[in-house]
Amino acid sequence: MIRNLLVSTLLIFIIAAGCKEVSSFQEPLDLSQIAYHPNPVPIKVPKGFPQLPLVNKNPQTEEGIALGRKLFHDPILSADSTMSCASCHFAHLAMTDGKALSKGIDQKEGLRSAMSLVNVAFYNEGFFWDGRVKSLEEQALLPVEDSIELHNSWDQLVDKLRTHPEYPVYFRKAFGIDSVAQIDKYMAANAMAQFEKTLISANSRYDQIERGEEEYTPDEKAGYEIFFDDSKELPDGECGHCHNVPLMTTNEFLNNGITYAEKASDFPDLGRGGFTGSQFDNGKFRVPSLRNIALTAPYMHDGRFKTLEEVVDHYASGGHYSPSVSPLIKPLNLDETQKRQLIAFLNTLTDLKFVQETQQSEVY
Amino acid sequence: MRKLLILFFIAPLFVVSSCDKEPEIEIVGNVEVNLKANYDGEQFMTQQEYVYTSAINVKFTEFNLYVSNISLLEFENSTEETELAEVDFVNLSFTTDQATEAAAGYDLSTKKVPSGTYRAVKIGFGLPADINRTSPGDYGNGNALATSTHYWASANSYVFSKIEGFSDNNGNGIFEASEDEGIRFHLGQDEVYTERILFPSEPIVVEEDGTVNLSLNIDVKKLFEISDITYDANQDGLLDIENYSSSREDTDDPGFLVDRTIMSNYSSATKLNQ
Repeated sequence: MIRNLLVSTLLIFIIAAGCKEVSSFQEPLDLSQIAYHPNPVPIKVPKGFPQLPLVNKNPQTEEGIALGRKLFHDPILSADSTMSCASCHFAHLAMTDGKALSKGIDQKEGLRSAMSLVNVAFYNEGFFWDGRVKSLEEQALLPVEDSIELHNSWDQLVDKLRTHPEYPVYFRKAFGIDSVAQIDKYMAANAMAQFEKTLISANSRYDQIERGEEEYTPDEKAGYEIFFDDSKELPDGECGHCHNVPLMTTNEFLNNGITYAEKASDFPDLGRGGFTGSQFDNGKFRVPSLRNIALTAPYMHDGRFKTLEEVVDHYASGGHYSPSVSPLIKPLNLDETQKRQLIAFLNTLTDLKFVQETQQSEVY
Repeated sequence: MRKLLILFFIAPLFVVSSCDKEPEIEIVGNVEVNLKANYDGEQFMTQQEYVYTSAINVKFTEFNLYVSNISLLEFENSTEETELAEVDFVNLSFTTDQATEAAAGYDLSTKKVPSGTYRAVKIGFGLPADINRTSPGDYGNGNALATSTHYWASANSYVFSKIEGFSDNNGNGIFEASEDEGIRFHLGQDEVYTERILFPSEPIVVEEDGTVNLSLNIDVKKLFEISDITYDANQDGLLDIENYSSSREDTDDPGFLVDRTIMSNYSSATKLNQ
């Protein structure tokens, strides 16, 4: 009898405990008791960099950045929890992945290489190689559902975030939500955009020289003069037209003559034209920043050039004909010494402090 | 005595209140300024083939310019100017699949001006020295001067105007990206800033809350008119575009004359219509 009573009591306890667990799982978690005091962290605009819009619909906060950093590095973003944004954007490679074409969770190769995220806070002409989205917040929404990239669905991911042991608190602290039901994809994307906007590189050797803290070597100086056409004795490398200071990009979409195409429809990747629908944009791609360029091999939208030497050889040759090629592409008449000097200058654009600091902030 | 006392206190109030003049209400109207481009009378569009000389056709890919100090003058030699706009960036690089946009041109952002009669319009092509001393980092996002596409760090100058494209020098029908077939004019520096005063056929009468439309039309072909035999060996009045197809940044470079001429030609190439 006593034994039966003990067993029954134990059973009731087990059922009760089980019921309690199920109940707590299903009830919306009340987050309103957790303090919500977001600390604004305005983006520090380096001297000479473009000013940012006065009105920011997604203001940076310490808590938003922390959430964004966590999400950016968390494989929870992908359908099989194996990949995150950070899987293709490594700090030591200046937020690229070192591959010609990036692979997603299904080991499918994408059409284009992973773009660097350095200084994306200052991009104002569209994101991705073809500029198909206008803001970083919109950009952050797309890789999650891209079948070649993270191949997830936002509905599924948001469900995981809502039931996660840590994320609801992060979202509460970042956005002041009262219940997990308020977590949505836009908040997640805003947080990731906030984190990405902190990836600012402005302390390369070039920057130190510009600030008067260092001096160019003779080769670097000659390379600078070729790059910006700053010497009558040296040929014009024509580089500065599209890779202008301070970002080392003008944020334009141009065809730099890497692909021969007799007709506008002949490009294997239409690039900008695939988004705008204009044949005149076929073969045009975003002009990437050359900051940290020594770390971001291979080069071009499809990673066709393995080294900076190959890149310089391409430009020196005058490129290939196509209907949309930029008139700025022409043979450069650079000799081997001048090519080497140009690369010496490009190497001054590496910002190791940025790499170190970004590596230290990686959370996974 | 009582009446005197009342008068003593009330009179100053009248005096004070009469001193308080009614605030002057400025009567203003709108002047809308539109810019568009043509090529020898045809609507200008990039990617469109045009006849340059009987032997050479050209096709442009980019055409834009800064305009500045746009103002109205009450009479020809007036030193008083009524500012319509300080600086604007006019991009007329509409392609052939943007014919509607090309026909519409570009509307400058203008300020309201006091109503009245004006007899001239002043416009600067490029940027005056005080503005040209600044750099894109000095301006907020969205400002016409904040873009790095039109700034030379090495020359500390904005690029006032870009004219890019191709000339089919050998007549093979292909516009090649080569040394001699690319047209690459990036024009700038203080020395080439050009101002022009344009006179409308009728006075510009701005009425209270009324709107006057002014239309400026730039003939791109006229930008290449040159009389110097060094640069016009063919003596057809046009720059030898097969030999001089890119700008010279250095002001002491003999070729800088071409830059100066093209910028100066904005003056004669621009017509004002009401």
